[in-house]
Amino acid sequence: MYPFDYPTQTVFYLVLYGATLVLHVLPMNYVLAGSTYLAFLGVWEALRGPALAQRPIVEVLRDWMPFALGVTITAAVAPLLFLQILYQRPFYTANLLLFHRWMAILPVLIAAFYLLYLQKSKRWHHFSAWVRAVVSVGILCCFAFVAWSFTENHLLSTRGQEVWTEVYGSNRWFYRDPELMPRLTVWYVGAFPVLAAALIAQFWSTGFVRRDENAAPDPVTDPAIRTLAVLALGGLVASVFAGGGYFVFLEEPIRQRLTARDVWPYLAGATLGIIVQAVIWRRVWQRAWIDGRTLTFLCLAVVGAVGSATALREARRTSTIDLNQYASMHVTASIVGGLGTFLLFLFVCTGALIAVVVAVRRGLIAGSQPPIE
Amino acid sequence: MDFPYYPINDFGPLMKGMVIGGVGIVHVFLAQFAIGGGILLCVFQWLAMTGRSKLAREFVDGYFRWLVLISFVLGALTGVAIWLTTIQISPRTIGLMVQEFHWLWATEWTFFCLEVGSGYAFYRYGPRLPDRTRLGLLMSYSFASWMSLFWINGILSWQLTPAQWLEDHTVWSGFFNPSFWPSLIFRTITALAEAGLFACLVINLVKAWTRAEKKEMLHRAFYFLAPMAAMPLVGFWYFAVVPDDSRRWVMGESVAMTMFMMLGVGTSLLIGCYAVFMIFNRRNFISAMTSLLLIALAMGATAGGEFVREGMRKPYTVRNVLYCNSVTEEEIARLRIEGCAIHDPYPLKDAAEIPTEQLRLGAKVYRLQCSICHTVDGANGILGLTRTWTPGQMRLNIAQLQRTKPFMPPFAGTAQELEALVQWLAWREAESPATWETSDRPEVLRQIQAHLDEVGTVSGLELMHNKLGDGKSAKAAQSQP
Ligand code: HEC
Ligand code: HEM
Repeated sequence: MYPFDYPTQTVFYLVLYGATLVLHVLPMNYVLAGSTYLAFLGVWEALRGPALAQRPIVEVLRDWMPFALGVTITAAVAPLLFLQILYQRPFYTANLLLFHRWMAILPVLIAAFYLLYLQKSKRWHHFSAWVRAVVSVGILCCFAFVAWSFTENHLLSTRGQEVWTEVYGSNRWFYRDPELMPRLTVWYVGAFPVLAAALIAQFWSTGFVRRDENAAPDPVTDPAIRTLAVLALGGLVASVFAGGGYFVFLEEPIRQRLTARDVWPYLAGATLGIIVQAVIWRRVWQRAWIDGRTLTFLCLAVVGAVGSATALREARRTSTIDLNQYASMHVTASIVGGLGTFLLFLFVCTGALIAVVVAVRRGLIAGSQPPIE
Repeated sequence: MDFPYYPINDFGPLMKGMVIGGVGIVHVFLAQFAIGGGILLCVFQWLAMTGRSKLAREFVDGYFRWLVLISFVLGALTGVAIWLTTIQISPRTIGLMVQEFHWLWATEWTFFCLEVGSGYAFYRYGPRLPDRTRLGLLMSYSFASWMSLFWINGILSWQLTPAQWLEDHTVWSGFFNPSFWPSLIFRTITALAEAGLFACLVINLVKAWTRAEKKEMLHRAFYFLAPMAAMPLVGFWYFAVVPDDSRRWVMGESVAMTMFMMLGVGTSLLIGCYAVFMIFNRRNFISAMTSLLLIALAMGATAGGEFVREGMRKPYTVRNVLYCNSVTEEEIARLRIEGCAIHDPYPLKDAAEIPTEQLRLGAKVYRLQCSICHTVDGANGILGLTRTWTPGQMRLNIAQLQRTKPFMPPFAGTAQELEALVQWLAWREAESPATWETSDRPEVLRQIQAHLDEVGTVSGLELMHNKLGDGKSAKAAQSQP
């Protein structure tokens, strides 16, 4: 099974990279799809007046987007690290070739971050609907730019010396790869099911969504939950089409790589993940409630689908970058010390984070009760 | 050629060191604010809980908002920025660092996660939480952010003083290198002082407090500047363990470095004087404007310190291993035979304007070997530096670059490449005429080869040590201060 035919050390870093990349992709999807939703709604409201049915979703997104962006960036540091061991030369080369255009993601992200805080602030509703719409669209543009940059950089890194030489000599700042738009589309539409699942989980944890059929239908909650179902189902269907379209678009050798027997498990995983999500969302759409067990399945299906997609993405990359040529570097890297320290503190810090969550929950409960005297 | 060629970018009139230094200063400044701020908040939370200060709790919430808005956004992203900028400037350096220390970097990442998690939890829920939980969150936050300093400090200080690591290549002897502790302590002191100064600004901005209340809080904040008293001592410790050549750059041999050092010391002294003024006279008050001014001075101090730290490593990015221009010490001898620029697959961006093959090669040599520290005619411009030299002098001084200035790496190429560089310099100096004669006289190349062989491939630092006749090799000298 892919990627286990590579030397052990290479596999080791690939698995770490893949696992940590999933940690980046999940919140990134929240940010990307969430900002799209807010931008869309901002424009809608400016044109048509308040969309009250959407309020619950809008409020949660406004409130949580800065945190989600913080998590996206923090989670991205680990795959960024392992990437530099796995594909050091191609990654650095693509960075250098894109130069200012690549570095521009940083000021853009800073701007987006502050705009998210503005969007969250109490002052937000004092702005006119048009100002709000422009800000929200601006935020979306920032994130779309960043996503596009990562895809552009990724594709450039897979192209090899001849293209690199050509791009360097051409003095262009943008690298226009024919694969760019089809690939970006997959990322983009695939983000919506993740967003919908995250939002319903948030609603579930705050008790906003009905957890069983006995609870009375709610005129505020139910439409919001159905909106999520539509977002998710739409995103899933679009992902299938976008994925298929991207596949058809690829060159023949890459297509063969992606349908080879050793990547079947990931194709199956992605398919299964999509089907399970679709089935669950259809039911949610009908009932407008979700119980804990179904929610767990939904989340597992999301992680399964994203994980499989990440593996397929790697198979795409290794179909044009021969990873074996860097194997000796992976061996050299694997013998330096410190792995034990990492695992130890991974354990410690994860424990501490869990403790933080527990302490806050307890503290909030204690804080909400009047002191006993 | 199995040399890792990367496409090299041109930053125009800016020296690359200035670019990385600029990003570095902003990041370090913000990171120190976050680290010191965490500790300061723990103390103020404790003051509130023990009834020592009635205002402290309110202050903690207000300050934390600033911390999140500044450090979580700008701090985090300039951190990514410094990483990406390092890739832009020297991919090989960052590659080597990642290779050697990725597990410690990954460890640092686990603390980032904890820092972000506990920080946001406090930001969101802090005002609604009981005191004990608040203190717990703050302690978790500040411990995590200090630990991120702990880990990165080991990796950065290794670049200057790898010492024992050069012999055994183990991660821990690289990490706990001679300058690890002094720089960790120094940075911690700086972080505390910076947090204290920011606190003064925040206190001044609280509208609801009376002047007397502000004064009380200001004095409490100023205690965070008290550890600065140890700075001279820790500074001496640091300079005692760094290589003596690095110390000499700072102590007068390099004008720019000495100036930055003075900037750092001078601004710190000013801040220190103010601290004494505040700590020993409880009637003094400090306004928002003065706080801002002191923060600006602290920024100056950080700038001085960071430039010194970056510049002191010259000619290396990793001492005794990798030169600033991404050639390793080991590779030089081979590159002198096989050539370096001649195999560079990346074309020149202005190839069409360069009339001859030799000049194009010369431009490539410059790009590969010199452009990391020089510009053509901007900061540290190479044309200006060679303007008064005859071609003969150029050949000699470049062939023996490490002798010309010990903070330059030895020339890493063939005699042909060197002559190409000399011709390119002369051609540029002549305002890039449309025709230029190719210089390929064998006696010139023989002369260059003789110049090259005379000093060999040892680093300028080693040459300098040998000349000073201290009997020890430079390597031994630097690993045993
Ligand atoms: C590690 C950084 C670094 C590299 C790489 C480097 N230089 Fe320098 N060079 C310097 C510095 C710093 C100075 C000092 C400038 C001053 O004194 O104002 C300098 C000075 C010079 C001078 C003037 C020396 C004098 O005595 O006045 C020349 C000529 C020069 N460099 C040429 C080169 C050439 C040619 C290369 C590439 C083969 C090169 N340098 C590579 C850092 C570097
Ligand atoms: C909200 C901001 C961000 C968005 C929208 C975003 C989006 C993306 C996308 C779409 C990809 C996949 C690219 C592809 O496969 O074509 C990706 C990959 C990645 N991102 Fe992000 N990203 C964001 C922020 C960041 C930040 C700040 C970092 C660095 C700290 C980062 C690090 C990475 C890494 C390392 C990869 C893998 C790249 C590769 O394997 O080539 N991301 N990101």
